[in-house]
Amino acid sequence: MSHYVIRRVLQAIPMLIGISVIVFVLLQMTPGGPLAVVENPGGSGRVTQEQLERLRARYGLDDPLYVRYLRWAGDLVRGDWGTSFNTGQPVLTMIWERVPTTLLVTGLAFLVALALAFPIGIVSAARQYSLFDYLATSAAFLGIAVPSFWLALMFLYVFTFTLDWLPAVGLSDPRQQHDGLAAVVDRAQHLIMPVSVLALVSTASLTRYVRAAMLDVLGQDYMRTARAKGLAEQAVITVHALKNAAIPIVTILALEIPDLFIGSVIVESIFAISGMGRLFVESADLRDYPVLMGILLIASFLVILFNLIADILYSRLDPRIRYR
Amino acid sequence: MDARGLGHAQRLAHLAMAGRLSRRELLRRGAALGLSAPALMTLVAACGGGEDGQPTPAAGNAGATPGSGSGTPASGAGTSGSGSSGGPKKGGRAVIALIQEPGQMSEFFNSQSGSFLSVLVVEPLFIPDANGEYQPVLAAAVPTIENGGISADSLTITYKLKEGITWSDGEPFTAADIVFTFEVYQNPESTPLLPAAYDKIESVRAIDPLTVEVKMKEINPGYLDLWQTVLPKHKFDSTAVTQEHPLARLPLGTGPFVFKEWKTGDQIILERNPNYRDPEKPYLDGITIKVSPEKEATIAAFIAREYDYVYFIVTGDLPALTQAEQEGKPVHVELFDGGASVEWLWLNLSDGGDPTKPHPVLGDPAIREAMDYGIDRQAIIDEILGGFGSLTGSFIYAGWAALDRPATPYDPDKANEILDAAGWQRGADDIREKNGVRASLRFQTIAGDQTRELYQQLIQQNMKDIGIELRIENVPSNTIFGSWQEGGLLARGNYDIVMSRDGYEVDPADWAAIFTADSIPSEANPGGFTYSHWRNAEFDAAIEEAGATLDQEARKRAYARAAEIFARERPALPLYQSAAADAWSTRLKGQRTDYFNPRGTLYSAADWYIEE
Repeated sequence: MSHYVIRRVLQAIPMLIGISVIVFVLLQMTPGGPLAVVENPGGSGRVTQEQLERLRARYGLDDPLYVRYLRWAGDLVRGDWGTSFNTGQPVLTMIWERVPTTLLVTGLAFLVALALAFPIGIVSAARQYSLFDYLATSAAFLGIAVPSFWLALMFLYVFTFTLDWLPAVGLSDPRQQHDGLAAVVDRAQHLIMPVSVLALVSTASLTRYVRAAMLDVLGQDYMRTARAKGLAEQAVITVHALKNAAIPIVTILALEIPDLFIGSVIVESIFAISGMGRLFVESADLRDYPVLMGILLIASFLVILFNLIADILYSRLDPRIRYR
Repeated sequence: MDARGLGHAQRLAHLAMAGRLSRRELLRRGAALGLSAPALMTLVAACGGGEDGQPTPAAGNAGATPGSGSGTPASGAGTSGSGSSGGPKKGGRAVIALIQEPGQMSEFFNSQSGSFLSVLVVEPLFIPDANGEYQPVLAAAVPTIENGGISADSLTITYKLKEGITWSDGEPFTAADIVFTFEVYQNPESTPLLPAAYDKIESVRAIDPLTVEVKMKEINPGYLDLWQTVLPKHKFDSTAVTQEHPLARLPLGTGPFVFKEWKTGDQIILERNPNYRDPEKPYLDGITIKVSPEKEATIAAFIAREYDYVYFIVTGDLPALTQAEQEGKPVHVELFDGGASVEWLWLNLSDGGDPTKPHPVLGDPAIREAMDYGIDRQAIIDEILGGFGSLTGSFIYAGWAALDRPATPYDPDKANEILDAAGWQRGADDIREKNGVRASLRFQTIAGDQTRELYQQLIQQNMKDIGIELRIENVPSNTIFGSWQEGGLLARGNYDIVMSRDGYEVDPADWAAIFTADSIPSEANPGGFTYSHWRNAEFDAAIEEAGATLDQEARKRAYARAAEIFARERPALPLYQSAAADAWSTRLKGQRTDYFNPRGTLYSAADWYIEE
């Protein structure tokens, strides 16, 4: 097992290098550039050509691609993630600033989704083709089909605009500083809508996974055996079925964890939450290569890491699976 | 939800207005970037419509007459603090929503529209008022030839600074700061992003602590646009300053507020400046700038009282805002006379970009004249723009040199007579022909702007009535505005008629230059921007004369002559001037709006106060 883990970790290194090369090249090949915001192709007008050249030189944009890549990779090896073209701040600082906010929102949404999807999925599977199952299935498909931006705007329209129950944007009231309990309440009020939108969307798909995994297991021979030996239906479902159904679900959940860090571009934008999703999309718009590289590298790393974790968990949960 | 439905040029124009970049530059810049440009991306905004007002300088007085400009349903409440009880109240915090967060707040190092919010902190030497006349802020007076501020050859400008101004840290603001600012600009290690007007500076010298003498390499009509941002010398230990400097991100100024903290992507906190020159002001304790990138959600939150001001409102937001105001929501919408660009029909006078050969149809002045009379402009405003907008026949319709000139009246009979007389005979399908050439023209604008498409059809029908066929072929903005190298339709002269907005400038120099023959784009001059490919020696001479001096009267006379030639020759036809508007919460009072920039109310933040 430990050999397996070591081998996987060693394999991850060339993979990360490969990813960084591909991403770096793709980013640079995308039309536009970091100077696009200030650039004036005609050469007359506000910003002079000479000012642009100074900026290009500063960002090292005139060097060949491989020189730029090697410089970036060399800095990274020494622990320097670079400086944002846009804000002039260190990339890692900018990313760290955003992670807690994103984790708060996506983490809560994830927990809510789990809390909803498991019971719904299990009951749906246990009572397949019942009224409840039909309702849950319809709701799940509706949830999968509805775009999150639409849902977010509907929430805003209903809860802020029409009912005036919840604050529209941000994670705290910008007009007043609250302390103690008032601050918690204020934060909770701001979290309700973004967390609900994210949770509803992921509950929808997660419910389907749980249901499918449960159905798969419920059709197995050992289920009949469990019932035949006289176990109560509740024990059959929770002890025997759920435990086995958990194996594929755990894998899916482990692979979702990197997304928790990356955040949601749409929900963060609509509710004005300064998380990773927005940092990424803003950096992409601005062609802020250092920040983009930083985010993409961390995301790739997390995906690889959680793939490995999922594989290990798999073997732990299912004794039939053994890695060498 | 995103950029799609909106005319890109329009968004660019708004950007320009707010960020005070020149429209032409932005249009072309935006085009060259495609829509990926972040500065354009977030300006979600809805369809186009008219933003607008009167063409004349007199009409430019938005602020002087608070309330409705062009007969709008919106504004009722007074602009400036009509506080019911006593004077303005002290205390409280205003919240401004910022759609597009810039990388730096210093306009010296950042050209994104959002950095204009730095005017809450950083004061310029001069600010143009609603008439395009510059008013001194940190300067004691506007340099003129009469007061000796401008030398006889117009090449040396002497700026006098106001006495007793201090930076927010208490240090005096002096001529040395201006000299230092120029030294930073000059240092090759620095990375400023400043208007080309700085490039024309030869040298800057402090004569005494309150007097600065600036020598120009050539006549510089942008001399009052210089020193919008002055850097505090005492805070820097080198003249090499880049975007990474903390004061590039959060500059130090002399204005009513000071920057305290910037939580990127979230908010920027401003506190009142304890050393502000007027001890009574600012009335507010502080301002919070809240980053709120989604336009629809921001407007919703604004209407739901969460924000006091949104940077920045565009015409497309007006329907939602005016409706909210009428429903009694706590928002106030202010419509300005003027304050926005004119929508133009650019006519190609060359045959496929070769200025030596006239365009087979548009090359005939009679066609251009007939088109001018044949367009029912008032119908565009009344039927499509909901009454928002105004008409002008003036080439220079904004800024200090603005000329009042009525729009060409709608007279289809006269248009038909002109064409008949010029030998354009109606063919079998009622479209006119002359010498085997059919009066059939491509009519293009940026695809996806529904409002524009509506009046394109109206113009198409107008032209059909006088026997000219227009074929609407709308395309993406970069196809139209791309550079010469990129094969942009305008630059290459590969178009007949293109519609876009332009020309809202304080000083007409840059705007007028886009019609002179020496800037016709070509292989040798790929950066040229005279897209009409128009050659008129008389017009060029007038523009040259206007550029040869800083004597306002002489320049104004020369521009007036140029405008007459323009109106006679018609290298472009004005359609209407858009309506500009701004909005704030009803609890925020004390705004002034008598500025050329439609977001100029930010200049008056010292006077803002909150009254619940």
